[in-house]
Order: sequence, then structure tokens, then C-alpha cells
Amino acid sequence: MNAMLKMSQLIDGLNGRLGRGLMWLILAAVLISAGNAIVRKAFDMSSNALLEIQWYLFASVFMLGSGFAFLKNAHVRIDFISNHLSAKTRNLIDMVGIVVFLLPLCYMLITLSWPLFANAWNSGEMSQNAGGLIRWPMYGLIPLGFTLLALQGLSELIKRAAFLSGAGPDVISHIETESKDEIGHEIEEHAAHVQEEVR
Amino acid sequence: MEFIAQNFVPLMFGGLLLFLLTGFPVAFALAATGLFFGFLGMEAGLFPPVLFQALPLRIFGIMQNDTLLAIPFFTFMGIILEKSGMAEDLLETIGQVFGPVRGGLALAVIFVGALLAATTGVVAAAVISMGLISLPIMLRNGYNRTIATGVITASGTLAQAIPPSLVLIVMADQLGRSVGDMYAGALVPGLLLVACYALFIIFIAIVKPAWVPALPPEARIYKEANGSSGHRSLLVLLVIAAAAGFAWSQVHDGLIRGWTGRENAAPGDEVLILSMTIASFVALALAIVNHVLKLGLLSKLSERVTFVLIPPLVLIFLVLGTIFLGLATPTEGGAMGALGAFIMALARRKLEMRLLKEALENTTKLAIFVLFILIGSTVFSFTFNAADGHIFIEHLFSKMPGGAMGFLIVVNLLVFILGMFIDFFEIAFIVVPLLAPVAEKLLPALLPAGSDALIWFGVIIAINLQTSFLTPPFGFALFYLRSVAAKSDYNDRVTGQRIPAVTTAQIYKGAIAFIVLQVIMVAAVVIYPNLVLGSLDKPPVAGTQTIQLEATRVEEQAAPADGKEETAEEKAKREKEEEEEEDPAKALMRSMNKDKK
Repeated sequence: MNAMLKMSQLIDGLNGRLGRGLMWLILAAVLISAGNAIVRKAFDMSSNALLEIQWYLFASVFMLGSGFAFLKNAHVRIDFISNHLSAKTRNLIDMVGIVVFLLPLCYMLITLSWPLFANAWNSGEMSQNAGGLIRWPMYGLIPLGFTLLALQGLSELIKRAAFLSGAGPDVISHIETESKDEIGHEIEEHAAHVQEEVR
Repeated sequence: MEFIAQNFVPLMFGGLLLFLLTGFPVAFALAATGLFFGFLGMEAGLFPPVLFQALPLRIFGIMQNDTLLAIPFFTFMGIILEKSGMAEDLLETIGQVFGPVRGGLALAVIFVGALLAATTGVVAAAVISMGLISLPIMLRNGYNRTIATGVITASGTLAQAIPPSLVLIVMADQLGRSVGDMYAGALVPGLLLVACYALFIIFIAIVKPAWVPALPPEARIYKEANGSSGHRSLLVLLVIAAAAGFAWSQVHDGLIRGWTGRENAAPGDEVLILSMTIASFVALALAIVNHVLKLGLLSKLSERVTFVLIPPLVLIFLVLGTIFLGLATPTEGGAMGALGAFIMALARRKLEMRLLKEALENTTKLAIFVLFILIGSTVFSFTFNAADGHIFIEHLFSKMPGGAMGFLIVVNLLVFILGMFIDFFEIAFIVVPLLAPVAEKLLPALLPAGSDALIWFGVIIAINLQTSFLTPPFGFALFYLRSVAAKSDYNDRVTGQRIPAVTTAQIYKGAIAFIVLQVIMVAAVVIYPNLVLGSLDKPPVAGTQTIQLEATRVEEQAAPADGKEETAEEKAKREKEEEEEEDPAKALMRSMNKDKK
């Protein structure tokens, strides 16, 4: 179990760091997109590479960030029934879901998308727009992203199992309360700040 | 196997429902249901074994989608605005303007809610600021608690109905319409909803004046040396600004036509937005001149009002103005708005590194989960469509009494009830694509020939989805207000009076009247489609106008304009690509079916 938990920590570290890096791409996309619009109107210039890089950046964020979102328990759940279940049942449901559905899903999408990537890599496929970008990095995002998601699935599986065997905390409820505390804390801070200003 | 083959679609629905209710992440549950039933169907001989071959290309299509880029942009803008303190300034100042009349504080909340809604598409920020600033003032002055809480939660949710809202972007994407058209269609119903709220408060102020008392004179912050409140000066400034705006609206068409070379008349919403922009800049110029030269012609109140109103008005112009004028696509409009909010927060020194990181992380998490729900629902609909699920749904609705109108009523009831339990992203991505083909077939019967039924349908659903924030047990706006309203009795900071806690029941009760108003608004849009379609009697917003714009520039400068035209080409190409990528799967299916026969 210890070796497994170690591995889970490694995966969490990888996806966590990746996610914190990816979020800057959003800022880059904002700046590039606003820049494109302004430059096009002001100087009557535009470049297809700069137009395409916008969706390259955003696609990278959500394809590679899925594992990160799973780590942060940010993929929404419809939880008005599961909230009434015991922590044990909820963890069990997650384990079954990961093994029976999530991992096969990732496996399928990786095997299906790999030929697409290999093709684009070998042929050096370019965007059909003049001055557009090379395509293989985008095709590559699909297998890579689902690999990262599968890895995170594995890590979450280990954490759920650890909880059920008494070797670890309840991560699902833990994250929930933590994020609730975070929100509560944020609101309090905000409130203090506002009151200060009103004075 | 026979049973499965015959009841495939209902089984698939049941499976999805069951899986969603277990609490497994929605995105994965959707994809897994699609995959599971896909394989089941292959076993039963319903689908060819290569069913999922084209799936990666579909995902690639989502990655290429420019429209969806607007989601992180508007989210980021909303979070940054929340941190910038703009809402607080607005509430405080506008409260001073309207406060001295009965119902004024509530009207100020509605007005500020509408302003915030027109700058961004995020609900949480508005409700929290109002709950922190306006609620204590209303309670101190003896407002009826049901009215006070209701007006705050409802005004906060206006962000859903008034463009630029996230739900309209998603709706446009799912219904295959341009975001610009969706925005144009939603503008009038959104503003009417604001008017409904305001009329309701005015009605209360007349019928039950004790519920919505005026601010007493000692609670006024801005006073002139001679003791007057400064309202007269504000009124004069308003009249001047309005006159300037009106004058612009008269000459707008001629000026813009000369500038852009456009031949058709300017659409109403464009004139409205630009006239308002001109009016606010006139007011700003006067206030600055007065302030710098110390003329003393304007009261403190009018100066202050002008200065706090400018940031949101500039943002509205940056986003809605550029989109309606066709200067920017909605995605670029979102980016400009986000950049504008970012610069504003920097200028006010409200943006620390920690806050920026937090904003980016929250934006990233939201964007990922939304896009993954879309990927999941794509996998689901892959199997669903292969099993002719859309035909199943069509049959389901064709059996219903009342035809097209019956369909609309049932759909609205469904969305309203679902909205109590799940949030709008899930409804928009799961339910709307299932209903869109039926809507496209049935609804044109209710409209004059040539009108766009799907825009109408999208706006109706969007307004309906707004109620999902207000309906118990899972209304997010109610939660947000609960989190900031006093949970125990407290001593008022100003008067020292003991004020009882705000109960959860009061918050829930407060929302009811406004839910009724929203339902009335949905009914009004259903009965008078012109509220939506009236704004659309013109070429599609961001498309043709921009291209015309570019074309004139080509003539003027005799230089190739490679910007917008190529993006248009790019879009056409992409659409072609999408068609092609759909085709192989369909062709395969067809040939397989033939083989079977």
C-alpha cells in the first residue's frame, strides 16, 4: 500500500504542477486574442498563426488539464443524492466508476487517436490557412491528455482504496470541505475588506 | 438481446440517469454511458464495430472551436471584476442616488445588477457584493426582509439573461447559431426583465410603503455646503448627457455609414449602445472639466456618480459595443473585456499576484470541467444518434397534444424542473442538443416565415435557465446570499440597534416573487416572439458586416485585407471539414446497414 500511495503522490505532483503551469496559458490567450482584435482594426494587419495560436493555447489547457481538474475534484458531480450516502459508499462508487468506465474510456480514446497523431507527425500536416501552424501538436494532445487523465484516475483509485482500507483520509469529502472553507474564508476576507472601504 | 435492441434508446436514457445520480463526475458519466451502450449495441448487432472510429476527430473539432474560447475569457473577466471593487463603488453611490425615495435602495440594487450583468456573465460576484453592502443598509432602514433578499438574489442572476452571458454562448454553440445573433435576440427580453423587477418594486412602494422605506436624511453621505443633496445638479447633468446621446442617435447612421461604407441602416441595438457611450463620455468630460478647474458647477454627488459609472460603461462598450458593431467577434469581445477588467484592476491596485493566480486557477478549473462535459456529451450523442435517438425523441414529442406550442410548454417545464437540481451547463450540453432538432422542425410553424426559430428557442431556454439559480433546493444565488447574510442577531454598526438574523426561509421566500416575474417573462417571449426576433431584422451580426467593412477598406486602400476574410474562409473550410468528418461514419453505417439487408 505504501508504494502505491507513493506513486499516487507522484502523479498528484505531476498533474498539480502541470495545472498550475497551464493556467498561465489562459492569460496568454486573453492577451493574444485582444491583441489580434486591436491590431487588426488599428493597423489592418493580421496573421493566421496568431489566430490559430488562440485555440492551440485553450485546447492545451483543457486537454492537458483534465487530470488536474480531477485531482482538484473540479469535475462537477450531480451530488444531491450521493450527499446522503455514507463516505464508504461514495468512495466505492468512485472506485467502480474509475475501473469500469473511466480507465477503459481513456484506453479507447488513446488507441483511437494515436493513428491520427502518427499520421500528422509523419506527413507534417499543416493548417490549410496561409501561414497557419503545424498540426501534430494538437493531434498529440488527445492521447497525451487522456494518458494524464488515466494516470490521475489511477492515483484517485489508490486514494479511494486507501480510505476504504483505513490507510488514508476521505479525499472526496476532504476536498469538498476544504474548498468550502476556502470559499468561506474568501468571503470573510472580502467582507472585511469591503467594510474597511465603506468606512 | 432482442429486448435491448428494441428498447435501446430508453435503456440508454435510463442508464445515463442512473449513472449521473450516483455522483460520479458528469463528464465521465456521459462519456462512459455513450461508450458502454456503444459496445452493447455492437454486441446486439445494431452498430458496425468501427462505430467510434471518428470520435477523435469530433474531439479535435471541439478543440478547434473558437466560440468556446469565450467561456474562459468571460469567466476570467468576471472573477477579476469581482476583485476590482467596482461593484462596491457602484452599490454605494447608486444607493445614495436612489436612496432618498421609497423603494430606492431596492431600485439601486436592480440597476447595479443590470449594469454588472451587461459587463460580465458571472452570477456569484454580484450576489455576494450586494449581500455584503446593500443588505445591511436595507435591514437597518427597516426593509421587508423578503423583498430585500429577493431583490438581491434576483438582480444577481440577471447576468444569465443579459448579454454577454455564458449561457447564451453555450446555447449558440449547441444550436449552431452565431453568438452575436443570440446576444442581439436576448437584449430586449433581458432589459424587459429588468423593467419588470423595477415595476414590481415601484408597485410595492405604492401599495406597501412601509416595506421599502426611504433613506433618512442623516444617512446621506454626499452633501453640498449649502445642505442640499446635489440631486438637482445630477438631474441637469443627466439631461445634458441624454440630449447628447439623443443627438448622436439621430446622426449615427449617416456618420457610421460614411465611415464604414455600409449600405443598410444601422440596427437599433447598435445605435442604442453607441448613443449611450457618447452620452456617458459627455458626462465624463463635463465632470473632469468641473473637477480639474474647480468650477463647482456640479454637486459632489453628480461628480461621484459619473466617475463610478464610467468603468462599467467602458467595459460594456468594449464587449457589447464591439460585438454589435461587428468590430470584434464575441470571442475577441470577451478577450477585450477581460483585458479591460485586468487593466482596471491593476490601475486600482486591487490585483495582487495571489489574486491573479486564484482567478486564473478558478477560470482554468471551470473551463476544463465545462469543456469536458461537452466532450462527454459528444461521446454520448455519438451512440445516441447512431441508435436514431433523435428520431425517437421526435416521435415522443409528435405524440404530444398541442403541437409546437405543446412542445414549447413541456420543454420549458422540463428545463424549469431540471433547473432545481442540476446547473445550467449540464442542461445546456445534455438536454438542449437532444431537443434542438425537434425545435428546428416544429417551431417555425409558430413564427412568421423566414425568422430564426432556434434563436428564439435559445433565448427562451436561457431566460428559463435563469430561474435555476433561484429555485430551491439548489439555487446557487440563494446559497451565495446565505453565505454572506448575517446568521445570528447582530448590533448595527451605525445605529447600534439590535438586528435579528436573516433566516434561510426568508431568503427562499424572497426569491418566489421574482421567480414568478421570470416565468411571466418566459411566457411573454413565447407569446410575443417579436421581442427576440425584432432585434434580428438585419444581416447576422459579426459575419457580413465585418466582411463588408473589410471589403470597403480594400477598395479604399487597394491593399489586400487578409484578416477577417481569411477567418471567414477558415470557418467555411472548417465547416466543410466537419461535414467530411461526419460523413465517413455515416457512410460506413449506411453501407453496413445495406449489407445487413
